Amino acid sequence: MKFDLSEDQALLQSSTRDFLGSELPLEKTRNVMEHQPDGYEAAQWRSLADMGYIGLTLPATAGGQGLGTIELAIVLEEMGRVCAPGPFLDVVLAASLLAASGKEAGLLADVVQGKSLVTIARQDSPFNGNHVQPARFENGRVRGTKYFVPFAARTDALLVTTPQGIVLVRAPYDLVPLETIDLGQRFAEVKLDNQGTLIGGPELLEKIDLLAAVGASAMMLGLMSRSLEITLGYVQTRQAFKRPIGAFQALQHRMADMLLKTESTRSAVYRAAWCLDTGDEDGALACATAKAYAGDASRYVCGEAIQMHGGIGFTWELDLHFYFKRAKTLEQFYGSTEAQLEKALAAAGY
Amino acid sequence: MDLQLSDKHVKFRDELRAWLKANMGRPWREELRDPKATEDSLMELRRGWQRKLYEGGYLGMDWPAEWGGRGATEVEKSIFEAEMSKADAPPILNSLGIGLLGPALIHHGSEAQRRRFIPPMLSGDEIWCQGFSEPGAGSDLASLRTSAALDGDHFVLNGQKIWTTFGPWADWIFVLARTDSKDRYGGISFILCKLDTPGITVRRLRQITGESEFGEVFFEDARVPRENLVGQIGEGWRIAMTVLAFERGAMGLAAAERYGRDLGLLARTCKELGREGGAVREKLARLLVENEVLRANGLRMLANLADGKVPGPESSIEKIFWSEFDKRFRETALDILGPGGQLVRTSAEARPDVDWSREFLWSRAGTIYSGSSEVQRNIISKRVLNLPQEGR
Repeated sequence: MKFDLSEDQALLQSSTRDFLGSELPLEKTRNVMEHQPDGYEAAQWRSLADMGYIGLTLPATAGGQGLGTIELAIVLEEMGRVCAPGPFLDVVLAASLLAASGKEAGLLADVVQGKSLVTIARQDSPFNGNHVQPARFENGRVRGTKYFVPFAARTDALLVTTPQGIVLVRAPYDLVPLETIDLGQRFAEVKLDNQGTLIGGPELLEKIDLLAAVGASAMMLGLMSRSLEITLGYVQTRQAFKRPIGAFQALQHRMADMLLKTESTRSAVYRAAWCLDTGDEDGALACATAKAYAGDASRYVCGEAIQMHGGIGFTWELDLHFYFKRAKTLEQFYGSTEAQLEKALAAAGY
Repeated sequence: MDLQLSDKHVKFRDELRAWLKANMGRPWREELRDPKATEDSLMELRRGWQRKLYEGGYLGMDWPAEWGGRGATEVEKSIFEAEMSKADAPPILNSLGIGLLGPALIHHGSEAQRRRFIPPMLSGDEIWCQGFSEPGAGSDLASLRTSAALDGDHFVLNGQKIWTTFGPWADWIFVLARTDSKDRYGGISFILCKLDTPGITVRRLRQITGESEFGEVFFEDARVPRENLVGQIGEGWRIAMTVLAFERGAMGLAAAERYGRDLGLLARTCKELGREGGAVREKLARLLVENEVLRANGLRMLANLADGKVPGPESSIEKIFWSEFDKRFRETALDILGPGGQLVRTSAEARPDVDWSREFLWSRAGTIYSGSSEVQRNIISKRVLNLPQEGR
């Protein structure tokens, strides 16, 4: 038994940190968020693909590296630490879904190499409505509207979920950009009346949903741990009443809670990843736990980081709001907290 | 990263499960709600249970072989605690003796002290309580004032100890007493006192549950033989701190087993009572999620122990997590159960599965004892976050 990363895993962590430190420093990210309507730079995407990150967990036959969920979590945690903009998690999930379907090998190879962009069109309403007509697949055509489709404007194809199964739809499609608070995660509403190819039944999504939950939680873990580090640095230097504000117990105890929530998220995320990699029977409960807990914890930690910075924390100029906003996005997508709570109840048989 | 128990530990766990199946009587919650049960009868039951565990080789597992040890590590001890929790076994009666004093004697005591005190401690014939806290020294323990003055071959003790768990039942107390009023830490010594010594009085304190598990102990010119000093004069603080480190281990795992069991029973009750609305379901789900995070923290601690790491300040995180969660859990259970959750176990209509009202009240203790949540947060601020310490 061992909780620490293996030598190879630690190497992946440090090389990813170095790579992201040079490819995606916060100055570049800020520039993307403020000036790049796509929400990422094509050059950065190519270098991610060249480094093999997109195919990290895919089998070698699909051009991937055949690594596990723990390795994916390590990379996503690092991406969270730099609040990386772009569709990395969305594309990894779409690629995993394509790989699971066993169809469209050519497209999958292009996705892994960074030549094509595919994401999953999942949401059937802008809100979590229970009485929404989902998009339908009939006679070879998909009809209906999908909301919050990740990076739809730059995709070459979408994997559209319908009650009939998962349907591959190639661009072009009608879309309306949706602007949210997170400028590093771009979405669109996609109005579909397009030809499509059924690539598999809805059951294919079960494993993808577990991966999505762990992946998003790992990214939230990175957001939290970096927000806490930034805050710890600030409270040691910022002076008030002739002492660093970090000397005040009112802040110390809340920072202790920030650490508690961050480290508890770490336990939950890596346990869930380990469960998926080993086929442990607690996998479904562990994944729902990680996502539901990380959602609350990351909002708390990233929010407290803003509070402890005072007025400067509320400015656009400081980077903390990017972390706070990403935490909210990740909490609401990849299986919302509400959905994860339902899954947890079902997994426990309550 | 590997969270799978090793084959050796799986074997240990399976043998323990089989042993529990063959040797354990009714689950503790059933003993507690037996209408014939009294505080004394429950104590005797716990004494008998402790003896069985000792004979089965499950006490002092990490002690030297001559004291019943079997070369166990913190990993086996943590698995043991988790399995006891899972089986809802009666709690060990002499937990303070075995958990704290035993290690102190093994590491700091004399050979004569070990021979005299360890066997009856293990068998349950001598029950120990811990004399650390005082009315004026709780979280700030080193400000304790109970004095021990050397007079020939005796110490003369004066002062008062309080919140003394098991005080009303115990035969012996291990006391931190001041042998030098000028030296804050180096003036404290570790002394063993028989509670029927003239000059020592034990008074029960009634707790918010109505029970008297703790009490206060008064010392008025109580003469204790010098040979009952553990270690040297002035070593008491150091001994106490090393001993308290033995309170650690993967506590979260045992706690998650216990809460998980009670939570499952609560979920079943909700079904029976038709309490299946969205508001109730969300409460259940949030408790479930938090308990699973507690379990994950516990597994991480266990894996770190198995990996040869000594738990440091991160055990403060575990302590805050389980004790604060316990309060939220029990409060929420009462919210869900409504006024019926407040019924005491002997009352008509009380739920037969879990003594919810007692658990609700007991949960207020966990965030106070063994270092309050506030003390734990201070430890994290200082030792993990390295924050400056002035400016309280």
